Amino acid sequence: MVTEHAQEFETQDLLLNVGPQHPSTHGVFRMVLSVDGEVVRDVVPYIGYLHRGAEKLCETMDYRQGIGFMDRTEYLAAFNAELSYVMAVEALAELEVPERAQWIRMILCELNRLSSHFMFLGAFGIDVGVFATPFIYAWREREELIDLFEEVSGDRMMYAYFRPGGLAWDVPRNFKDRVRQVLKSARQGVADFNHLLTENEIFLARTRGVGAISAAEAIEWGMSGPSIRASGVPLDVRKDEPYLKYDQVDFDVIVGQNGDVYDRYYCRLMEMHESIKIVEQCLDKMPDSGPIMPEKMPRMLRTAPGEVYIRTEAPRGEYGIYLVSKGGNRPYRLKVRSACISNLQALKDMSVGQYVADAIIVLGSIDIVLSEVDR
Amino acid sequence: MKGIARSMLTTLSTFARKPVTRNYPDFHRPLPKTDRAFPLLLWDQEIDEPFCTGCHACERACPVECMTVLMKDNPNHKSVGGNSSRRKIIDKFWIDYARCMRCNICVEVCNFDAISMNNTWTGHETSVYDRQDLVMDLQQLLSQSRAGQIQEWVPVIGQTND
Amino acid sequence: MTADLFGLELNVWADAAIRLVLIVTLMTVVVMGLIYLERKIIARFNQRIGPQRTGPFGLLQSVADALKLVGKEDLRPRSADAWTFELGPYFIFIPVFLGFVIVPFVADWHIRLLDLGLLYFIAASSLSIIGWVMAGWGSDNRYAMIGALRAAAQGISYELPLVLALVAVGIYAGTFNLGEMIAQQDVVPFIVWQPMAALIFFIAALAELNRTPFDIPVGESEVVGGPFVEYSGIRWSMFFLAEYAALFIMSLVFSAVFLGGFLWPFGDDLGRLFQAALTTAKAGLFFFVVVWIRISVPRLRIDQLMSYSWKVLLPLALVQVLVNGLVLVNGWSEVILLAFGLVGVAVLATVTGRAVAAPRIRPGAARRPLAPAPAHGEAAS
Repeated sequence: MVTEHAQEFETQDLLLNVGPQHPSTHGVFRMVLSVDGEVVRDVVPYIGYLHRGAEKLCETMDYRQGIGFMDRTEYLAAFNAELSYVMAVEALAELEVPERAQWIRMILCELNRLSSHFMFLGAFGIDVGVFATPFIYAWREREELIDLFEEVSGDRMMYAYFRPGGLAWDVPRNFKDRVRQVLKSARQGVADFNHLLTENEIFLARTRGVGAISAAEAIEWGMSGPSIRASGVPLDVRKDEPYLKYDQVDFDVIVGQNGDVYDRYYCRLMEMHESIKIVEQCLDKMPDSGPIMPEKMPRMLRTAPGEVYIRTEAPRGEYGIYLVSKGGNRPYRLKVRSACISNLQALKDMSVGQYVADAIIVLGSIDIVLSEVDR
Repeated sequence: MKGIARSMLTTLSTFARKPVTRNYPDFHRPLPKTDRAFPLLLWDQEIDEPFCTGCHACERACPVECMTVLMKDNPNHKSVGGNSSRRKIIDKFWIDYARCMRCNICVEVCNFDAISMNNTWTGHETSVYDRQDLVMDLQQLLSQSRAGQIQEWVPVIGQTND
Repeated sequence: MTADLFGLELNVWADAAIRLVLIVTLMTVVVMGLIYLERKIIARFNQRIGPQRTGPFGLLQSVADALKLVGKEDLRPRSADAWTFELGPYFIFIPVFLGFVIVPFVADWHIRLLDLGLLYFIAASSLSIIGWVMAGWGSDNRYAMIGALRAAAQGISYELPLVLALVAVGIYAGTFNLGEMIAQQDVVPFIVWQPMAALIFFIAALAELNRTPFDIPVGESEVVGGPFVEYSGIRWSMFFLAEYAALFIMSLVFSAVFLGGFLWPFGDDLGRLFQAALTTAKAGLFFFVVVWIRISVPRLRIDQLMSYSWKVLLPLALVQVLVNGLVLVNGWSEVILLAFGLVGVAVLATVTGRAVAAPRIRPGAARRPLAPAPAHGEAAS
């Protein structure tokens, strides 16, 4: 497209500000694209618009108060965020989580993975250009899931339900039936998205070969989650270091081939199938009654001095909590290892040389949530 | 074209399904008992006074420091001729709904089961025109329970609750 | 000279003026109705209900929107070029309205049936590209500029298949006068003999209207409205007026040229009102399919869009013209046209499927060979 004549002109790159207020930035995120015609030459991201000092605030909160803050660092996958945190506290306080609580935690985390991936599909569909349909489908499915979460924890998004040692209160009596109901509609929703997007030729044209990143580069950038699995690296914390009861259920790790936008989308879609499979197995294996907190929990939880790093597989990647305690009932330092900010670092490598429209899609395919990037 | 045709057939199939719209505010869907809107104080209907004794437990436990609590001697105590066994009673109580993050910790630490999260629609429909109106005082916090319009469910931590 | 208007004998100029006023009024009402209908149809496709509170069944929603837009402040950026910024919207919607001159709704409900009707229509409607560029450049906004240049490139590229498809039908019918074309379709509509031309016209019309999958100039998730981003209030609504008026006019032209207009299949027997309903139904069908495509299909990127026009639609349109010419010169049977048309549609569908789906290597893309995946673990895809 660049002819010899055009190279005789001295042209300047256009600086295009995909500003903090933009329909496509998935939160308040700013990137300045340096554009030559329609081809992106440079990407400079600016983050920090959503920084609320969550890590510092948690130093002043005891372990129960901090759970609400962990919800808000990753609001779309709040159960997974809470899980890392309470597992870190349990490791330091040497608490033993009862069986039933572990199964329930696992079910809720996988359902949260489903709802987070639905959100991704909805937002990604809008980025690719389908007018309203993917978003509304996503919201329809999320509504079912969120209604279930409301019945269990009381809140639709900021659950504050996990506690160090187990759960805050037990699930309703009809939990298993409700989960099966929700799974049925989730399956229908995943099928809808599959039929709507996966084989659509225009979708394939927009996403195949776009924003590719090789496995070696992805490992160097420290990516994790579906974004790196799409590049061919079978990295999944649930298989590498199983936590909760992931070693007792049977599921596949979905690995892509090219590391392009299509593979990242398809990995997430297939992961939803796997999540549904996991939840069904959990429902069968979960005991119907039993304690959900260890006996004799102290009123105010205190931990031994020490430090621990616990990581779990959040929908966006490896969400880790590094907790340092000097004894007492609050952390000395809480560091959130955010999957999104590591994945976001690869944005420039993925977008340079692509068109403006592709840069938007690439950003959408990394699936960031700014509250985790900025905390 | 086959993929495009498939997409179009998928959208056509949703054309035939029932709309999922809930016509709020004409229709309020029933909230589950576990629903957690903003905190409310509970009224002891038998003795005709609040349960709350102003012990500051919730105020200290609140992560965002949204409460202000003041207690007073109970004029209804048995020792001064009343019928209540509460020596102290709540005098003034403010909760800033704008700061509250609905984490339920105040409910968990309360020794008297005096505070509960509002699980009715009134708890969700708290829009006001001025931010200062979101600071609820004692009368506003007690009014719903006093009128009997609350679906009470105080969860006990770690136990089966239904 | 006098002309006949509903039985009255009037001066030609007065007659033209009255018809113009009637059609412009009709258009404003129709556009508002189309906006409402589109919202309702999109809502149903999404399992929602759409507007339902403003007026019975939400019918007054467009009126409410219009009132809201009139009440908005008319902004103009300080660094925007005053003349181009303010005249841009007019240059977009006036050519669209010019196209209404030649479209027959019912037998004599039109402004003027010109002998060069279709060519006039294409010439007039292609003027609106100037308006897009004026709006984009005059806004002094990068997003607007990008959107405007994309719109200009797209508009110009897709003119050619559009024109050639109409020329092909014109060759077959022997006339560009829409009234005569409709009269020739009283037994069989032209879509039967010219299916490929109909499909090419449909796709090119989608592109000319800047509708999905060709709506990248107004891609809302990217350039946030393209050339319209700096406009507000009633000026902004002029763009939408123009878009929906153009959509209506394209649907009328499509139904007149390919579906037989107000005559097929019932002929002249059932009276004017029935014919008007028939025209409306056919235009409505076109509209429904356009909306259906809008909410099912992603948008094409600008380079894919351009290559699709130049490499797929244009050659096939030329071939259609050629085949029409051959068949007419040699006096062959019309069935050949039908057979060729069906083959052509199949070819177009296949080539479209392949052409758009193939991943492309772009110049300047940093291409590093992908490292082979580590050996352990599952490798399902």
